[in-house]
Formats: sequence, structure tokens, C-alpha cells
Amino acid sequence: MSRKVAITGIGICSSLGFSGEQIINNLKRGGVSFSRPSFDDHVVISPVNDFNIKSYTGSFKERRYLNRGSQFCVASAVDAIRSSGINKDLLSNAGLFMGTGPNLDIGGEFFEIQEGEMDRKDLMALWMLRFLPNTAASAIAMYAGIHGENLTVNTACAASVMAIGEAFRKIRCGYLDLALAGGGDSRLSRGGILAYKKANALYTGSGEADKAMRPFDSKRKGFVPGEGGAVFLLEEMDHAKRRGAEIYAEICGFGSSIDGHNMTAPEPSAAWAEKAVRAAISEAGVNPSDIDIVSSHGTGTQLNDEAEAHLLHRLFGANGPPVIAIKSWIGHGAAACGALELGISLICMCNNYWPEIRNLTDPCHMELNFVRMGRNIDARTILLENFGFGGQNGVLIIKGQ
Amino acid sequence: MEVLEVIKRLLADILDMEVKDILPEAYIVRELGAESIDLLEMAVSLNAAFNIEVNDADIFLLRLRDHVTEAAENKTDVVRYLAERLPFLKRDRIADIVSDLEGGPTLKVKDLVSYVEWRRVNG
Repeated sequence: MSRKVAITGIGICSSLGFSGEQIINNLKRGGVSFSRPSFDDHVVISPVNDFNIKSYTGSFKERRYLNRGSQFCVASAVDAIRSSGINKDLLSNAGLFMGTGPNLDIGGEFFEIQEGEMDRKDLMALWMLRFLPNTAASAIAMYAGIHGENLTVNTACAASVMAIGEAFRKIRCGYLDLALAGGGDSRLSRGGILAYKKANALYTGSGEADKAMRPFDSKRKGFVPGEGGAVFLLEEMDHAKRRGAEIYAEICGFGSSIDGHNMTAPEPSAAWAEKAVRAAISEAGVNPSDIDIVSSHGTGTQLNDEAEAHLLHRLFGANGPPVIAIKSWIGHGAAACGALELGISLICMCNNYWPEIRNLTDPCHMELNFVRMGRNIDARTILLENFGFGGQNGVLIIKGQ
Repeated sequence: MEVLEVIKRLLADILDMEVKDILPEAYIVRELGAESIDLLEMAVSLNAAFNIEVNDADIFLLRLRDHVTEAAENKTDVVRYLAERLPFLKRDRIADIVSDLEGGPTLKVKDLVSYVEWRRVNG
């Protein structure tokens, strides 16, 4: 009998809020944060407002080395530990698996580069820590006293879902009993916006900011970048039960693959993404017909949604499970999107309430069961998909208790 | 702003502390919890704030214990020996440091002030 993996702690920093209660309330009342950045009125962003890392860590001198994405990782980890009620001594042998993105805030970090000259007197001695991908892990390990197996995953928008998947496997296979897993990211800086704008992946245009993000709608025009983080305490099921932990859900399966097709665009038939989905379903020991709800990647780009719709239709046919698209609520969290979407899905499951896909008025595929109005759905088995630049595919199957 | 106030502000920033909790007599490592990377940042910050060259080994007393050993080997007076190598510290402060070696790293906030003031005069 293979070991089971429970989720026993959740920490989340999202544009919908920082607690289950805030998030479910904002999902029900449409409390989104879409707005225009001060420096570019052609794009729309979904920022996390009122976030202060210090309110999580207290005095913590390593804070100065954390870029905004790393700050979301650390804050979420602190909250995940708090919510799990775990004795901190147990964390010594825990693992740590973080999905992070690159710090693209080049102009903010080096605001006066001239002819390639970056040096200036007020540059920190260890400025590079704000760019290294594993700075968040280093800070979390120091804060929480973690010393076990670990991995920082940088697979673009599949990074945090893959970090969670790798942690799941380590526990399932007996290498670890406990692991913190998740991720954080922010690319709302000028550099981040410039990068995705140049790549033609962003929504650009005038009109109402909160109408810009419209996954699976035939008038979709690209994604709205978001930010945030979410971290989970994963725990071997018996370990969790022995200590009387609250069990939010069970992770049952993980699959990953890589398209090998294009540096940015998904492979149009989603054949390789499907490989990851089927691997996760197989590992979970379920059938497609057992899936109660799909948390789609749903970026609102022409290519992603088209490919993902084909994939879901092949998998489920015409009478498939309800499909949600959390990015229509929080924008695209980049490396953090999988962790954010898992966190919000768990909150929805606990509340028996699943939100509509915002701005979906003319679906791009007529035979998929898109959720068009927020409603009570008794969903116990979730399929969660993320597909990133570089053809990175990561999929989880989660079961409620 | 006087040197002490600037140094307190820089330390507060690097160590994520309140300025009011940083006193001239505070031990930077023993009490304020600075580690080697924090001293590295402090050197960079002092250089930028005062436009002075900062010698890490001197200002942070990194070779203090080597010097004490050398003085013993040479059978010279340890205070006089240290005063030659750490000219920014006054004799009475050096005597305090020598009597305090067993307690751990002896560097205090006021030693940084002495270094900066000495550098400003002596270049």
C-alpha cells in the first residue's frame, strides 16, 4: 500500500485576500483588483494590495534580499506553518520545494545603467540574492529551521505546481514525511510587463480593466499579469493523523511533461500536455469520469485556451465536469499560478462554492462545461492544470476529505 | 547628521531593527546579532554614506586575535601593539577590548564611529 499525502497547512497571499474567508467573500461578491499600472495605460494588472512581509516575519534581516516574488514565498510559508499547527521541531527534517520566477524588475533594481555600467555606491554587497532563484528557499529554511531534501523549480508558469508535485512524490515514495511546497512570483514591474508585452502575450487595449481577462471567451486578447504566492504543508497521511492535524485534502497524483515544440507557444493539439494529465490521473488511480471539477490553466491567450479546450474535450467528451479558470479572478500569477490556484480551489472545495469564469460571454468551445455562474458544486476530486512557457506542463489530482 | 546617527541608521536598516535600540555601547555581533554578511553590507554602506575607503579587516577588528597572539609571541605590550595596528581606536578602548576578549566578538557600535571619524581626518 503506497503512502498517502495530505495537505495540512495553507498559506496564501492573493489579490483576493490572505485568508479563506476574505477569498471566498471576494469570489462571491466580485471583489477583484484589476487596474492599470502607473507606467503603462495599455495593459492591465492584478496586484496584491496591502501586502507587507514584515507583518508575517516580524524583524527579519534577510528581508532586504527578498524580491517581491520571494516575499510572497516567505509570507505564504510562514502562514502555512502557522495554519498547520505543527510543532516546529518536526520541521527540522521537512523538505522544501519552491516554484519561483526570475526577477525581471531590472529597471527598478538598476535604475541608472548607462553603457552597461551597473555599479553604484548604494548597491548592496549581496544584491545578487535579489536575482538568485533559491533566495526564497534559503530564507524560509532559516526562518522555519528546515534542513531536509529540497528543490527550487524554475519551470516558468508550471513551476509551483511542479514543486508541489515533486514534494508529493518525495513523501509518497518515503523520502520525506513532511514538506513545505508552493511558490511565489511577481512580474508587475516595468521590466516584467515589458517582457510579456514584447512577447505579445499580454492583453493590451482600452476599456474597463476588469473586463480584460477573459479565458475561453472568443474575444480573449491575452492575459492579465497577476502576482502572489501560496505554500502548503504536505504531510504523510498517517503522520498527519497521529498528530491530530486538520486535513484539508489529499494529493493523489502528479504528472509532468514538456512539449519540445516551441519556446513560448503550446503545442497546438496539447498532445504532450495530455500526457501529463493522463499520468496524473493514472497515478491517482482514478478515471477521467471520476473528476468532479477542472481548475484549468485558462490564461486568456488565443493559443493556450484553444489547445487546452481541445485537450479537455478529448479527455471528457461532451459531458465533462465543470471547468473553472481562476486566472479570470486573479490574473496570471506566473510561477506562482499553480500554488495560488490550488489554494483557491481548496478554499472553494471547503466552502462548496465554485466561481464563474469571469467575462466568459461567448465560449470558444461549445461542448465544454464551463462554469458560467458561481454556484454550489459538491466537488471532491479536482484536476488542476498548468502549462508554462517552454512547453512546461504540470498537473495535480487532489481529493477532498 | 552626525556620524553616530548615520551609523545607527545603517545598522538598523541592515539588521532590521529600530534605530532607538542601537546604542553606542552595543556589541554588534554579540548583542545586535550581526553575521559576516551583515558586516559585508555595512562596509559597502559606510563607503557609500561617508565616501571613505573601508578596510573590512580593520574596521570590524577581524584580525584582532591574530594581533594579540603576535604581541605575545613578540613579547611586546599588547595594548601598544594593537594601537599601532588599529590607530583609529583610543588606548583606553583598546585596553577594554583586551580585557573583554573572552566574552566573544568585542566590536561595538562606537568603534565604527571611531573608524569613520579617523578615516575622515586621515584619508
